[in-house]
Amino acid sequence: MATRTLRVDYIARVEGESSLDLDIRDGSVAGARLSIFEPPRFFEALLRGRGFGEVLDIVARICGICPIAYQMSGVHAIENALGIEVEPPIRALRRLLYCGEWIESHALHIVMLHAPDFLGYPDAIAMAKDHKPAVERGLALKKAGNELLRLLGGREIHPINVRIGGFYRTPSRGELAPIIESLKRAREAAIETLRWAASFPFPDISCDYEFVALRHPDEYPMNAGRIVSSAGLDIAATEYETRFLERQVPHSTALHSALKQHGAYLVGPMARYALNRDRLPAEVQTLAGEVGLGPICRNPFRSILVRAIEIVYACGEALDLIAEYEPPAQPFVAAQPRAAVGYACTEAPRGLLYHFYRLDPEGTILDARLVPPTAQNQGVIEDDLRAVAAANLDSDEATLKSRCEQSIRNHDPCISCAAHFLTLRVHRT
Amino acid sequence: MTKERPRVLVVGIGNPDRGDDGFSAAVIARLRGHTPDGVHLLARKADPLALIDDWDGYGAVILVDAAMLVNELGRVHRIDLAENPLPLGWGPPSSHAFGLAETVELARNLGRLPRRLILYLIEGQNFETGASLSPAVATAINQIAERILADLTPHCGRTDSTEV
Repeated sequence: MATRTLRVDYIARVEGESSLDLDIRDGSVAGARLSIFEPPRFFEALLRGRGFGEVLDIVARICGICPIAYQMSGVHAIENALGIEVEPPIRALRRLLYCGEWIESHALHIVMLHAPDFLGYPDAIAMAKDHKPAVERGLALKKAGNELLRLLGGREIHPINVRIGGFYRTPSRGELAPIIESLKRAREAAIETLRWAASFPFPDISCDYEFVALRHPDEYPMNAGRIVSSAGLDIAATEYETRFLERQVPHSTALHSALKQHGAYLVGPMARYALNRDRLPAEVQTLAGEVGLGPICRNPFRSILVRAIEIVYACGEALDLIAEYEPPAQPFVAAQPRAAVGYACTEAPRGLLYHFYRLDPEGTILDARLVPPTAQNQGVIEDDLRAVAAANLDSDEATLKSRCEQSIRNHDPCISCAAHFLTLRVHRT
Repeated sequence: MTKERPRVLVVGIGNPDRGDDGFSAAVIARLRGHTPDGVHLLARKADPLALIDDWDGYGAVILVDAAMLVNELGRVHRIDLAENPLPLGWGPPSSHAFGLAETVELARNLGRLPRRLILYLIEGQNFETGASLSPAVATAINQIAERILADLTPHCGRTDSTEV
């Protein structure tokens, strides 16, 4: 029996630490395990016993790249528990804040972490020598997204301005005006980034994913909508735990998610796009068509194009939100504690993010459950690894390792959020 | 009348709430009010990648940072980053995005490195949340502030400062 063992001890250009084990027996892939060995972070336990007003500052600390996502799912879940409905300007500001996070997170991944895979560079530093304008565009996009976070969130990393019922402080129209030109330039940079990425060589692969994302009657989803899937799921966030389950696996400190009776599923840009393409403005749909993206993208290597489309969209959406913004009479509505449970799902840059809280009559957290996108995508990432490894079994170890790492980066995993990336071990027997 | 842009930028990199990572912020605080005119002080808690925009337009930049203990607690290294890359193994470990070494090399390849770029790097030991500076690290605050002031000798007057 021919045994081959391939092991990658640390996967680079992802957020956090994990490793990969591939078992190859008699020339076929017998197993693929994405091992997340970042220590458990116990955020759910940390929240228990805290007041509901402390949630947003705590959950913002879960991730330096997507703190807004945690704040948005957190604020909506607590407001769901307390029966709070926010005014349209507050809702618009939260969507604007989320646009900032999508722009900075997607730009970082496309240009700094993912593009080197396609162009044959070990990292963005080496790539910058030959692709200076593209890297400069990436930095400019990240900066534009960060400007929104700083303006609305109070600071770029772990923002502090979101509160239950609204914001601590809301901006005037005049305060938003200076970032309009920056966002217009960012939108042009995003279109150039999309066209640059469309020139990359993509492997020909198609995966039969079940896509899961929010869907809203009118909007490309960020803060609101029902949870839908390409296999017909259509539920409210309150029903999430009736259809999704989390389970422990021996090789990971992050829980694996699955859809009951369905199994692994995919969240993130590809899922959002597949389920909500018709919610994109016509000009963005046209751009998607120009770079070869049909109604559904099933090639995970082309997810880089979907992310670029989402940056273009987020820049345009941010400009529209600013143009229509009228400051609210009050920055927040008061929150009265009560014994209740609250649920919310929002769309983090990497996909669906579920929060659940149980409060006692004083508003103290009795129970909390947070399910990040990367935990939900681990099953699909392992399925992708099996498919990519099977297609590259005759490759040398370095090529196989590189393809496997790229396959993982296709999904922009945030291991830090899921618990934390990659060691590749291939076991051939 | 347009104010002339400061010509020298001094950046302290680190989280003041993480033990010896707070060394840089302490050095910036010590320098405040004592540096020559035309010198801008900046305390940056996170996101080293943003340094590429921070130092845009400055002819000379001095960075202060803390690294994990390699040889001797409190030992200070002066590294000319305009001439040399930050040696591998220095700088605080991070699985997130870009660290200081990566940012400097990215800027070098983009042609956006300041003409003069000096890094003062102290070897720390305790980076726990809420921890105080190690005594050997705290002792070096005055020493590094004085060495930076000596580097700034060609300048005179007062400074402005920014927290990030």
